[in-house]
Amino acid sequence: MEALKNAFDFSDQPRLDLTIAGALALFLLIFPLLPVSAFALATMIQFFIFSLYGMGWNTIGGYGGQVDLGKAQYVGIGAYTTAVLLIRWDIPFWFSMPIGVLLAVSWSFIIGYPLFRLSGHYFAIATIATSLVLKDLFEVWDFVGAARGLEISPIAYQPPDYLRLIFKEDIYYYYVLFAFFLVGILYLNWFRKSRLGFQLRAIKDNEDVARSLGINVHWAKIKTYAIATGYVSVVGSFHACYIKAIEPEDTMSLDISILIALMAMLGGAGSLWGPIIGAGILIPLKSYLKEWLGGMAGLAGMDLILYAVIIMLISAKEPRGVWGIVERWRRRKRS
Amino acid sequence: MALLAVENLVKDFGGLRANDDISFTLEKGELLGLIGPNGAGKTTLFNCIAGKHPVTAGRIVFDDEDITALKAPEVARRGLARTFQVYAAAGDLTVRENVMVGCFMRTASRRKARERADAILEDLNLTAAAPQYVSELPVAAQKQVTMATALGTRPKLLLLDEVAAGLNPGEIEEIMASIRHIHHDLGVTVILIEHVMELVMRTSDRVIVIDSGRKIAEGLPDEVARDPQVIKAYLGDRYVQEAGGGEAHP
Amino acid sequence: MEILASSIVAGLLFGMVLALVALGLTIIFGVMDIINFAHGEFLMYGMYTALLASQVLGVDPLLTLPLAALVGFLLGIACYKGFITYILRGPMIAQLLGTFGLMLLLRNIALLVFGSEDRAVHHGVLVDKSFEMGMGIIVPATKLAAAGLSVVAFVAVWLLMNRTRMGKALTATALNPQGARYMGISTEKMNALAWGIGGASVTVAGALIVNFWPVNPYVGLLFTMIAFTIVALGGFGSVPGAFFAALVVGLITEIPGFWDFLTYTLELDWMYDVPMTSFKYMWIYVAYFIIMVVRPRGLFGWKH
Repeated sequence: MEALKNAFDFSDQPRLDLTIAGALALFLLIFPLLPVSAFALATMIQFFIFSLYGMGWNTIGGYGGQVDLGKAQYVGIGAYTTAVLLIRWDIPFWFSMPIGVLLAVSWSFIIGYPLFRLSGHYFAIATIATSLVLKDLFEVWDFVGAARGLEISPIAYQPPDYLRLIFKEDIYYYYVLFAFFLVGILYLNWFRKSRLGFQLRAIKDNEDVARSLGINVHWAKIKTYAIATGYVSVVGSFHACYIKAIEPEDTMSLDISILIALMAMLGGAGSLWGPIIGAGILIPLKSYLKEWLGGMAGLAGMDLILYAVIIMLISAKEPRGVWGIVERWRRRKRS
Repeated sequence: MALLAVENLVKDFGGLRANDDISFTLEKGELLGLIGPNGAGKTTLFNCIAGKHPVTAGRIVFDDEDITALKAPEVARRGLARTFQVYAAAGDLTVRENVMVGCFMRTASRRKARERADAILEDLNLTAAAPQYVSELPVAAQKQVTMATALGTRPKLLLLDEVAAGLNPGEIEEIMASIRHIHHDLGVTVILIEHVMELVMRTSDRVIVIDSGRKIAEGLPDEVARDPQVIKAYLGDRYVQEAGGGEAHP
Repeated sequence: MEILASSIVAGLLFGMVLALVALGLTIIFGVMDIINFAHGEFLMYGMYTALLASQVLGVDPLLTLPLAALVGFLLGIACYKGFITYILRGPMIAQLLGTFGLMLLLRNIALLVFGSEDRAVHHGVLVDKSFEMGMGIIVPATKLAAAGLSVVAFVAVWLLMNRTRMGKALTATALNPQGARYMGISTEKMNALAWGIGGASVTVAGALIVNFWPVNPYVGLLFTMIAFTIVALGGFGSVPGAFFAALVVGLITEIPGFWDFLTYTLELDWMYDVPMTSFKYMWIYVAYFIIMVVRPRGLFGWKH
């Protein structure tokens, strides 16, 4: 009970932030009812997806300061679990999603134990390595369709199928995901002020001091890594039902992992709103840049060049992201 | 029964012997001063007791339990807290949140941790600073926060590593008052490391002097201050004759 | 037996080339503790330089090595001066994502300029020629030449680092940057130099690899990961370590060959069914993971 109350406790946030957040939530609630294009709606769904990925990453990467560049493997585990269970045994989304989380979290414990003996660059590269190993395995594993991937045929079901999450129109997906999005925020809000959240922030600051305060550093990291994994896996499962065609390359590639980290970093790693701000800037930008520039003949990759320049600018000029600018500005105003 | 007993503790770093055969005991309720010149091995001794470094040889008994082989978090959970020399406190967290990290060792409830943190802050006259970020505070207040955080773990024994380093005389008075308060009123046993001798002499019940990794003297502050070996360690040979009877002042 | 022998020879030869690939990364890491995700992209530019220069000038790709070195040197210094110097003091996450951004930039510029299709060297003195080394081992001439020239280049850089004033200053900066600064060595200059030398050595490696490996804008990541593995295995910052580690990694890339050998020798049915060639590069990642967990300082590490 207390945990539930704490999840809704935003009392440490400035009133201005909460007002803006409330207004935006209201806007997101009615967004699909406005006369918007299908493209805008699809972009918004991507925004939710990457916000949630970013929130997951933010637990271990932002609050914990562990640069995890291998989150895509858990997108893959979630997506493949849901797809395989649906295609082979007709197990609907709401059952396959928890199973996917269970598998993903189990895997995260197995590799998390050795992973968190490393730190810094070594840790970051090792997370990439584990993710690529899993991707390579999936690319030759016939059971999951190898490199061709899997396809969920919508013809086999009668949309709207709420149990299997098979819909014809994006608006259904939008609202399901919007609910996940709100739950994700509440959970993150609970997490950051929970015992584990506090321990993690102490670890990020100084591991020796954290140990002297009775914190089992290794175990706290592994637990948080599992939480981050849970987020990513749930959305991975959703992704399978939404996209309906998954393959190792677009669920588990390094680019996805980096994109996930980037959401949180652009918005502000280790802050509540950071990943949402990051996704809110990057996803529409990416999607519209691709639409405008990617289509033009001879300009292939132009969108990604601009994208790369943005990444480089953030890392050079404001590594604490947009939220870092806001915080600095506020602190200056206060003093 | 002694609260802490260190028996023949040896710590080697590669070929370097940082602590050589150190033994002492500490009674419950004592305030023990641990002094010695820079590089004498005081912090290493703390690190060994608190489980940060594994010891090379010897035994550490805390509260009737052999804690020699325990790691830092396990030692902390048994009621032995410490502060760090150069470390201030987590700058990204507010003062209250810092103290809450310590309180979370004994409770998983956010409400209880917060109540306890607020109580400690009030007790140390830090309530006004509670919502501030630690990085915005002056150094003296940051040191107080590290002590408050350590208190959050409800320690039986508190190891304070040079809390007065880098402070001006006024601030030193304040922090000494806090230490005496923690010791007298809260009933926490304290070991205090300082290389500023005077400070320890005025506060401690008993003093241990370490030089080059060895314990060279132990006793009441006055006795130790007159000990020729101690004067030699601090000031070098030539002072031993002249300063033999007077107060040693580094 | 022939499979085994030729796998070992192929692995070692490829390992020699990989040593040159990893050399730049380990020098840069040694001097400034930064991991460069764009390393493989430098290699890719080396490949394109050799390929295009040989086509335009009508000379053998092997003669374009000095040009590739020059391109790599300038590219390295440009990247350092234009970007790396600004992220060097930032938090580690900014460094990682920053060099990742650099990688995306270099890769997509290549995509824009060269297009996405595979290109390969078809004409050259050594192309399609091979040597019979006895015991049934046949080695393509391009690979043999690449391996030999890689070793020459590797040794040249090694001598440059240890025998020249400039190289010694670089090594001093790597071992003790503060001390080096007191000696009047400019860290900024040394960092730029490390990027120049690092860039040059990896583009030369690229110019050698293009003789037997088709190039496209996406080729870099694989080599980046290979280089990371070698550097981890050899000990971050260790130059001789990188050489031996590269030979080990070269052998790891030949695991499918060893698998075939075992399959034919043991004649176990299930072994035929394992698509080992598909796992060719997975073993590199597995190796990285295991090495880092078991021996975080690498097998020959001298700098933590």
